[in-house]
Amino acid sequence: MYIHQTVRTWLRRGFLAAFAAMFTFASLPSGAQGAPTPPQQAPQLAIAVCGTCHGVDGNSINPMFPRLAGQKAWYIKQQLKEFRAQTRGDPYAVAYMWGMANQLSNATIDALANYFSHQTPGPGTPHSPAVIAQGRAIFEHGIPTQGVPACAACHGPQALGTNLFPRLAGQHAEYILKQLQSFQNNMRKVAIMHGVAQTLHKSQMKEVADYLESLP
Amino acid sequence: MRVTTRFQLAAAVAAVGVLLAPAAQAVPSFARQTGMACAACHTVFPELTHFGRVFKANGYVLDNLKQVRAVNSERQQLLSLSQLPTFSIMTQISYTTLNKRLPDETNPAAPGLTQNGTAGFPQQLSLFYAGKIAPHFGVFSQITYGNDSGTIGIDNTDLRFAKLIVLPGKNTLTYGLSLNNNPTVQDLWNSTPAWGFPYDASNAVVSPLAATQIDGTLAQSVAGLTGYLYYDESLYVEFGGYRSAPQGQTNALTGQAGPLDGTFSNVIEGFAPYWRLAYEYDWRANSLEVGTYGADFKLYPGGGTALTGPDNRFADVAEDFQYQYVGEQNIVTVAGTHIHENMNLGASYLAGAAANRSDSLNTTRIWANYFYERRYGGQIGWFSTTGTTDTALYPPSATPPCTNSAGTSIACGVVTSANGSPDTDGLIGEVSYLPWLNVRLSLQYTHYTKFNGASNNYDGEGRNASDNDSLYFLLWYAF
Repeated sequence: MYIHQTVRTWLRRGFLAAFAAMFTFASLPSGAQGAPTPPQQAPQLAIAVCGTCHGVDGNSINPMFPRLAGQKAWYIKQQLKEFRAQTRGDPYAVAYMWGMANQLSNATIDALANYFSHQTPGPGTPHSPAVIAQGRAIFEHGIPTQGVPACAACHGPQALGTNLFPRLAGQHAEYILKQLQSFQNNMRKVAIMHGVAQTLHKSQMKEVADYLESLP
Repeated sequence: MRVTTRFQLAAAVAAVGVLLAPAAQAVPSFARQTGMACAACHTVFPELTHFGRVFKANGYVLDNLKQVRAVNSERQQLLSLSQLPTFSIMTQISYTTLNKRLPDETNPAAPGLTQNGTAGFPQQLSLFYAGKIAPHFGVFSQITYGNDSGTIGIDNTDLRFAKLIVLPGKNTLTYGLSLNNNPTVQDLWNSTPAWGFPYDASNAVVSPLAATQIDGTLAQSVAGLTGYLYYDESLYVEFGGYRSAPQGQTNALTGQAGPLDGTFSNVIEGFAPYWRLAYEYDWRANSLEVGTYGADFKLYPGGGTALTGPDNRFADVAEDFQYQYVGEQNIVTVAGTHIHENMNLGASYLAGAAANRSDSLNTTRIWANYFYERRYGGQIGWFSTTGTTDTALYPPSATPPCTNSAGTSIACGVVTSANGSPDTDGLIGEVSYLPWLNVRLSLQYTHYTKFNGASNNYDGEGRNASDNDSLYFLLWYAF
């Protein structure tokens, strides 16, 4: 009987109504609930879903996941569309992003790219001066004896990216190394980068990756 | 005497349940729903990554499938249902040998030894529905056939309602409710009992007598509702309560599922409070969690006595930690938990099922895993339970011919303690190979240095702790 009286009291006081309001199925999904995500929700989606791996402001802490803060919007859009089309074939793209981008609409992709491209990139991560000097030399001058062109020629002198090439400054070294290997073995098929990476040794990849990670 | 026997039996069964506590499962259902490989949520199944923890806290609802939808004119979502149901199946096939064969007293006049080498085919077969039900409402549900019960029953179940809000400063706050049937099954880390070490275990071995209540003893026989807050994917606070929800028994008078009466054993008096506090710090590819959890169970022994009068109270307070490094090729986990249980055994003491009015138990487990490219790996762990000596709670062997006063055959030894001590410790080592991410082959060895109170002749019948060592081969797959 006591419990029945308690329920009646709660009803009178509107507690249940308040409780119901707290857990009501309000408005459209918070972003984690599937497709198609309305574009106006992209920041919510970016923070609540993408942010778990890439950081809420695009500055991921885990080097497995690339930093997106300040990345060129066109590049983010292009990559998301490649994930959606399942044409980008490096291992992490296949395992994570093929599914993640599966139901994204073009409008959502635009909004996500807009969000992350406008975030402020974090400071660079320091590495030993000797390694940075080696990496910088490769970045700025390439390795002519191996037919490797200067990275700076396309990605810009500060690696900030252009309208045709993505930003690399401040990117996780592990991520860059993994991508260079994926270009080299053609799991990620980008003809120009396959050509660039074809003759690079792993140690050279690592040097240039460390240099890029050190850039703000 | 009937009460005593049944309580002891219940305690023994409960204890057995602990090491049998089937291990946690990873479910391809979630992979189907999210379109992401196992590696997103798991290091190697069943252990969760940070992303897996966030996915769980947010109610299992992240999906990347086409949906059947319904909305009203206020744009409220009335339905969001995957076009394909996210079912999956899991099978464990095993082979277990014991270091020393067990006595076989099928015919007390001509005792022998059991066959050694138990084939579990299957040891366990489970069907899952796991995934989103509605926009903020998801479920992990499992029904399991076990070769020990020979029946299909409810296994771990966790229904969740969760919502995420983005706070100023881009911090996130998830708040939610979990309706579940096993304390800690709703937890996010693998350092708590339900999804903890050992991740897989044989059901054809000898299990020690003692286990704390929160350590799987009440699994699948309770219903709990808990509410939680998860701030910034790091601070986790949860509070709730559990009530008895036994399966497969009925009220003696009505023959219906309830109300519960003295037919049932170890019935929770009212609601048992449960709490959890944890903090996770993540840096680069590392995460470190430290936390505490506990519950306060007041149980009527039941099992032939009415659910009134004195009860037994089990106050469990536990600490846990988990470190993970999830790298490109190398994955390392180090985790552990310590559970302290204070028992006030008013009811059992009066019934003669406990020799002391109060006892305590301490269980500690620490383990480490390593995997290379999620394919080759191993695990080593140390476990220990110590507690108050209680010759009624952890009873000695009966006098041959090993029947109780009701004439029922009971063990002459093996699952008893000659000195009334629950102390048990040992090591588990395991090597695993995963030819594919959803198929696991494991070879596990369990070594006891102490069992039910002693290293040598622990049951007074000549059996040593190491006689219960076991070698366990497991083929474990899910699809």
